[in-house]
Amino acid sequence: MKQIENIPDRGILLFKSCLVSVEYPGIESSTTYAFDKLDVDYLVSDEQSCCTGLGYYFDLFDQMSTTAVAARNFAVAKKNGYTNITTMCSTCYAINKETCALLNSNEEVRSNVNTVFENAELDDLTYKQNSLDEVDNFYHVVEILLSKTQHIGKLNTIDFSDVHVATHHACHYYKVQYDDMIGNPNHPLLIDTIAKSCGADVVEWYEDKTLTCGAGFSQRHINRKMSLEVTHAKLESLKNAGVELVIHMCPNCQIQYDRYQPVIEKEFGTKYDLVHMNIAQFVALALGADPVKVCGFQTHSVPLDEFLDRIGISV
Amino acid sequence: MSLSNGQIGVFICHCGGNISDVIDIQSVKQEIELDNISVFDCEYLCSNIGQDLIRKSIDKHSLDKIVIGACTPAKHEKLFRKCIEDVGLNASMLEIANLREQCSWVHPDNLAATNKSISLLIGKIKRVQLALPLTPIQVSINPNAMVIGGGIAGINSALNLANNGIHTYLIEKDVTIGGNTAKIGKIFSPEKLAEECAMCSLSPLMNEIGTHPNITLLTHSEVENVSGSAGDFKVNIRKKPRYVKDNCMACGRCSEVCPVYVENDFNCGVKDKKAISMRFAQSVPQVYSIDSDHCIELTGGECGICRNVCKVDAIDFEQRDENIELDVGAIIVATGFDEYDASKKPQYGYGVFENVVTQMDLARILGVNGPTLGKLARPSDNSVPKNIVMIQCVGSRDEDTSGNRYCSRYCCMAALKHASLIAKKYPDTNVTICYIDIRAFGLYENYYRAVQDMGISFVRGRPAEVVQKANHSLVVKVEDTLTQELKEMPADMVVLSSAMEASSGTKQIANILNVTLNEDGFVKEKHSKLKPVDTSRDGIFVCGTAQSPKDVTDTIAQSGLAAARTSVFISDNEIRLDPQIAQIDHSLCNNCDECFKCPFGGISKDVSGKVSINPLVCNGCGYCAKLCSKSAISIAGYKEEQIIAEIDGVIEKGDVLVFLSRGIPYATADNIGNSVAQYPANVKIVQVPTTTIATKAMIEHAFKHGSRAVLMVEEPTDNPIGAFIYPLAFENFKDLKNELGETGAKLHFKKAYIPHYRGLAEIFTSLAQMEDGK
Amino acid sequence: MTDMMADTLSEYDTPICDTLAETVKKSLRTSDTIGIERCLQCGACTASCPAAKFTDYNPRKIIKRVMENDISVIEDESIWNCFYCYTCHLRCPRNNSPTQVVQVLRQMAINKGIGLDKLEVLFEYGDAFAELGVSKIPDLYVGQMEDDFDMRWHEFKNNLDSVRSELGLGTVGVKDTGRGEIRAILAGIGFFDRQEKLKQMAEAELNTSDEKGGITNETN
Ligand code: SF4
Ligand code: SF4
Ligand code: SF4
Ligand code: SF4
Ligand code: SF4
Ligand code: SF4
Repeated sequence: MKQIENIPDRGILLFKSCLVSVEYPGIESSTTYAFDKLDVDYLVSDEQSCCTGLGYYFDLFDQMSTTAVAARNFAVAKKNGYTNITTMCSTCYAINKETCALLNSNEEVRSNVNTVFENAELDDLTYKQNSLDEVDNFYHVVEILLSKTQHIGKLNTIDFSDVHVATHHACHYYKVQYDDMIGNPNHPLLIDTIAKSCGADVVEWYEDKTLTCGAGFSQRHINRKMSLEVTHAKLESLKNAGVELVIHMCPNCQIQYDRYQPVIEKEFGTKYDLVHMNIAQFVALALGADPVKVCGFQTHSVPLDEFLDRIGISV
Repeated sequence: MSLSNGQIGVFICHCGGNISDVIDIQSVKQEIELDNISVFDCEYLCSNIGQDLIRKSIDKHSLDKIVIGACTPAKHEKLFRKCIEDVGLNASMLEIANLREQCSWVHPDNLAATNKSISLLIGKIKRVQLALPLTPIQVSINPNAMVIGGGIAGINSALNLANNGIHTYLIEKDVTIGGNTAKIGKIFSPEKLAEECAMCSLSPLMNEIGTHPNITLLTHSEVENVSGSAGDFKVNIRKKPRYVKDNCMACGRCSEVCPVYVENDFNCGVKDKKAISMRFAQSVPQVYSIDSDHCIELTGGECGICRNVCKVDAIDFEQRDENIELDVGAIIVATGFDEYDASKKPQYGYGVFENVVTQMDLARILGVNGPTLGKLARPSDNSVPKNIVMIQCVGSRDEDTSGNRYCSRYCCMAALKHASLIAKKYPDTNVTICYIDIRAFGLYENYYRAVQDMGISFVRGRPAEVVQKANHSLVVKVEDTLTQELKEMPADMVVLSSAMEASSGTKQIANILNVTLNEDGFVKEKHSKLKPVDTSRDGIFVCGTAQSPKDVTDTIAQSGLAAARTSVFISDNEIRLDPQIAQIDHSLCNNCDECFKCPFGGISKDVSGKVSINPLVCNGCGYCAKLCSKSAISIAGYKEEQIIAEIDGVIEKGDVLVFLSRGIPYATADNIGNSVAQYPANVKIVQVPTTTIATKAMIEHAFKHGSRAVLMVEEPTDNPIGAFIYPLAFENFKDLKNELGETGAKLHFKKAYIPHYRGLAEIFTSLAQMEDGK
Repeated sequence: MTDMMADTLSEYDTPICDTLAETVKKSLRTSDTIGIERCLQCGACTASCPAAKFTDYNPRKIIKRVMENDISVIEDESIWNCFYCYTCHLRCPRNNSPTQVVQVLRQMAINKGIGLDKLEVLFEYGDAFAELGVSKIPDLYVGQMEDDFDMRWHEFKNNLDSVRSELGLGTVGVKDTGRGEIRAILAGIGFFDRQEKLKQMAEAELNTSDEKGGITNETN
């Protein structure tokens, strides 16, 4: 299990996410805003490509191609000297970790990938065994923020004390390599702890807390009904728990909740008084960020204006 | 190469196919016979027939040095040494090549394994040629015994020993004996198909302990240190104050007036106990004690009312820790189990939902001396639950790091027992047991059938999670795998059959005693079939749940055996110590006193001013041999030339030479074999007392023979030898690396842990496959 | 049904072995320690599974069929219901992983031309990835989102660049040189070859079968 004490705040490569970029760019700007305030040393590189995770879990990308693309990103991290690869998306996190483990443990995969690099005259991308460690070099933004809760608590500018918060931790962060997460994977509490440090009233346990968001990669599209049934079940549980704000840690989950909540309301004939945001957006907000210019709440489907107004933030 | 020496005999064991299925014994024989050495083979060398063959062949062919190729020396070394002694050879004229754990079990490739076994045997042949006779060291055995742990296992073994005339110290860390058995309320009887009062059986035994002339009971006491060796252990005990003297009459006046309520661990932490109290009514000794963490007086406040009411002036706030020293000949470890912390499976809600309890909690709830005085009531509102769902194997049969891989063995029966008790007393309550397999072995099946007849429901499936709805009612989500239905079962109370785990006390004691634990943290027996209560150290025995999970019946059976083994050991009068310890050649010693740096304090000057080695303290680690610049000290049986001779025999071009310390590292390598893992056959192991004895000459010899890498594997730091030796061994490694110059890059150093045998196999494999050994 | 596609890349995800269990164990998509033969049939996976809750998919039974070497499991429509949420993987007491197994089964199905209807809408994904170095939700899926979501989203999408720049973020995608690298890597590793084969298989399938399963392009 990872220990909070060992979470770095230096040499962070903030790994860009395709879904963050085009769906919730505010997550990225909120993360860098929070990192700046919290004195985190990070780099965003425009040489880094996306992790192929969507393609991989759409069953289109094979493991070898995904690994080769990942190895290139690892080279980007090493070249820049920012080797603590830290993701905003849980699938990027899982894909990077797993491919790194594979590159370290499987000689054939490594030499295959390296041969492709050599043949393409991209020798500088060559992956050397154990040049990154699948545990020590990979993080999710949530972990960095968790290691800064004291600092966040001190800088917090907003009174969240009557905000009923619940959290949705992303499956691919805590269920894929479940031994490497912080805490117990059957009851993840990372976001809860951060939200509490800002004084929020957090519902730590609610039914279906560990239920998936329902996106399920291709399920959202090829099994739309089942996908929405799962999301509906979860939204019902959140409603029963009296929650007002749900905090996420993955853009894909956020699409499923924020973008589909109005769809579900229409199709299932119900109504939810729930708003959604990412933990980085939450922390940025707490640290005084502008809800539009930094948090990018205007990109959300469930409007947050009323909620923000209630907690005393004017948009 | 000339090995010819008419007097060496080599014996190869088939191990009933364990060795011979992989290794071609005939070609091994032919290869070695080429050198005019007599070679014999046998189906089972450890059998009478096998030993007879050894003895007869020694006589017939006037053999004077023996090499055996068989299983790990950890198994039968003593037996074989005794066997050659029977026919007049000195016990040290024997070398054993480990052809099973280091060869046939780890190298599936027959040819490679066969070739490796030849080289291992040749190594031993070369080494035995340099063997020197050693005189065994005799020590007389102290006639007292010590039992650590006052649960049912410790109670029963202490009584057996005492009744056998052996004076026994029973050490218990709690304020009373009784252990977990005192908590469980009822035990079931498979014959009478009924549940009987556990305390009714236990209490008389406890009283007997309290009054037995041959037993000295030390409660609230912990073993702090044990030194010496089999037959002559010196034990340091710390007896903690109970702040009540032994003249207490157990009248209870003090408890009545004490204003402080504390959590009662005996009753699932309910706050129904006073700061001065007795654990339970039948406690032995019948002496109250004060909880120093909560007592007002003892936490710096002013109270002392209890002292005012005590008529016999038993209360003594001035009591302090007492240090007690004991001399005993043998020790029984009976340190019991801890219940698995079910909150490590938060999906079942233990510690979150009030009405989720464990079987042990339920035992207390159903116990007449429990928090509800025996009434079945759920914690949230004290109402009688209508639906109870039990979940089996919580923390057992679970490969997750938060669980245990083994079956806890007691919990299926505990669930059936509680279901039966509830069905009899509360016919309106439905009990459903969610199980994967019901393990009701042997005659217990009769009881299972009887419980089935009572209408208890069984659902075959491991639940996914327990959720809480309004009003503290619960729902258990499970697939009934027999009907393939997904069920959401309503429950007023959920009972988790939590695993039995090695107790923290077991781990602590094992460390103090330097006995080996198995990968699950229980004390490892020497041989699961033949020596089920012997530990890795002579004179130290184990029984009950300290050894493996088991129920009361099995615990009692095993504790009787441990007592019997201890009695036999003690009545032996004398014991022979391993002669393979440091020996000094006084003609070379110039009294520089360097060797006094022995980290175990094994070397001092005797009355005549000569450097002398204490055989009771010396464990033969070999560090002093390294310290002595005059080469006056060596470890008997491990002289530099003997090791070099073995290296000469085993190492071929491209091999990896591994120096394995003879404790944990050697056992870990054996464990690779036990666990059917593998590594390449060009990895050759030479056992050493510790790697501190490895010298530059040995390593250079290996490289001269084409070794691709040399690896030294040391005892881990959390074991009593490793604690001192590991840093010294690491220093030695670094020095050697420097001295070797460029080739130093091919020298490697690791430590081993028995459960991490896979890691060791991986290290072996990567070194064996590495191009340049670096 | 088209024949097993024997290219080098699928060799890694779906190595050809004597039994299904072997293929699953050797596949790069599964963990080295996967406990498939040790499955207890305890149902913890199924009881934890969101897909099992709402459909007739049952991960425990999928594992059973794999253990029994029942190759027809790859034709079972229900394997396409898994969310890849890894809850089964987390809860399994035997270190087994139904979700990883299903990933391999889907790859095997794809190699046999089964389920290509689900895949073909994705073919542009690979090309787009090579082009930009970032993933792009396939047009068909975007189409579904366009139908589902309201004006708020459409507006945002239309103004993505300006929203991003207001947030201080640059344009989406990898720097130019990087794009070339990614294309070269994907070509070298054989990704495009495999994708080309899959496309051909999908077309062949389309020509031979009258009705087309899976989702149809509703956005047209
Ligand atoms: S300490 Fe004194 S008052 Fe308390 S039980 Fe003992 S004899 Fe009675
Ligand atoms: S002195 Fe301590 S034990 Fe005695 S009555 Fe006061 S609180 Fe209780
Ligand atoms: S005894 Fe029964 S409940 Fe306990 S671990 Fe074994 S199978 Fe599971
Ligand atoms: S061999 Fe080890 S324990 Fe024995 S005297 Fe030498 S240094 Fe001390
Ligand atoms: S949870 Fe694991 S062991 Fe149980 S049925 Fe599913 S795959 Fe098999
Ligand atoms: S990963 Fe698939 S099989 Fe496993 S629980 Fe999720 S939906 Fe079910």
